[in-house]
Amino acid sequence: MDTRLSDRNAISVLWTFRWLVYELVLRDLRLRYRGSFAGFAWTLLNPLIFMTIYALVFSVYFRIGVPNYALYLLAGLIPWGWVSGAVLAGTTSIVDGRMYVGRTMFPTLVLPIVPVVSNALNFIFALPVLAVFALAMHAHLGLALVALPLVMLVQLLVTTGIVLLLATANVFFRDLQLLANYALTILFYLTPIFYTRVQVPTAFQALVIWNPFAALISAYQDILYANRFPSPADLAYAAAFGAVILALGVAAFTRSQDAFSQYI
Amino acid sequence: MIESIRVDALSKSFRISGSAQHRTLKDLIVNPLRRGASSTVHALADVSFGVEHGSMLGVIGRNGSGKTTLLRLLCGILKPDAGTIHIDGSIAAVLALGTGFHPDLTGREGARIELLTLGMTRREADARLPAIADFAEIGEFFEAPIRTYSTGMMMRLAFACAICVDPNVLLLDEVLAVGDEAFAKKCLDAVTDFRTRGKTVVLVTHSAEIVEHFCDVALWLDRGRVAGLGDPHNVVSAYHALSGASAAYSTS
Repeated sequence: MDTRLSDRNAISVLWTFRWLVYELVLRDLRLRYRGSFAGFAWTLLNPLIFMTIYALVFSVYFRIGVPNYALYLLAGLIPWGWVSGAVLAGTTSIVDGRMYVGRTMFPTLVLPIVPVVSNALNFIFALPVLAVFALAMHAHLGLALVALPLVMLVQLLVTTGIVLLLATANVFFRDLQLLANYALTILFYLTPIFYTRVQVPTAFQALVIWNPFAALISAYQDILYANRFPSPADLAYAAAFGAVILALGVAAFTRSQDAFSQYI
Repeated sequence: MIESIRVDALSKSFRISGSAQHRTLKDLIVNPLRRGASSTVHALADVSFGVEHGSMLGVIGRNGSGKTTLLRLLCGILKPDAGTIHIDGSIAAVLALGTGFHPDLTGREGARIELLTLGMTRREADARLPAIADFAEIGEFFEAPIRTYSTGMMMRLAFACAICVDPNVLLLDEVLAVGDEAFAKKCLDAVTDFRTRGKTVVLVTHSAEIVEHFCDVALWLDRGRVAGLGDPHNVVSAYHALSGASAAYSTS
């Protein structure tokens, strides 16, 4: 077996070091709540409290003309949390791993993958909590749920691609870790998460149509809120975007990984 | 005889940027094409050597002569600009640049990650942890955060991980200089035992004594080039002769 890291492709590296990814993801999830009294239970408590607040605010205190608005909001907000959590932690992941990069035989590719996976797990842990809320709010969850794994797979492609690209670029331009925050905020407001697609003025509809995150989030809203299958065209568009961005991300990472240790 | 390590015409250079290492977005906008003042340092140029199974290569040379770059190339952290490296079997390394232990982890957690970094499964890693704790001899510190360790303790842990992995090739960078005498002896004993089992060691060191007494071959690097290769005694005396003479030369 060739153990020389610098010559291997991304898939083979991730497969060889799957146990390292597993260990680091576990550590990431544990560290988040280390030292707290409830410990690992926070992974469920956190979305529970968060969702209770939203549900109370938007179904009792502040009523909006969208039926079952709290659920609509959560159906978009929770998958968005996966994107934003992964991008924020992922952008700095290679720079934050400076103690490993170029100094030990540590496979650098693992670093940006870890926040993507740990935020995916946080999302998955939040799903049963969301299901309970949906049922409590008399929403219908049904057959459309079978499309959920497919949508998550598309989101995994998109998120991994963006994180790889940003994490690589951030080694050379540290400004990105600050800019990523603003970009995420702008993207959040450009994506129909707390408003609906039809509320967007006609002049700006193109922004929604071309926004791959709008396609992705609306797939979640279809499944978790409207109980209907997501639009295949939207999903295909998001998947195509994901494939392109992932290919770019892997290419950028592979091309520049040798230079990392000189910039970190 | 089939060699354990074969290196041919190996070259590696680094581009050193002038003033600022990191370019900001402003630099990029103001000067999109300029890459900033930079110069090229040839860390290694046309280096060739071979190491046979069961032998130990000692690498000597002044600071900045390319010793550490050579180790980083050997273990695959860096890619060569030119030349080839063939290594027969698995590698483990203890590099002086950093042990790669996260300070918040306990010794046990750090060691586990170190083993997973070498491609082990979690079960394989956990099976080796008792042997590592045993070899490192750091007592209850094995369960304490690594930030509470002394440099020597960290090296003990790193060396224990590398030796307990039982690789085919062991790369050591200035490890013996950090630990205390008792541990240095223990390391040398472990390395000797390792070699009698037909495995190979590459040791970067400043100790001419260790090279002369323990190594089968010595490699002397000077400004990235091979200045001497062969019998440790001859190479070390040539190195001493020149470094004594060049002390005056380099200050001029």
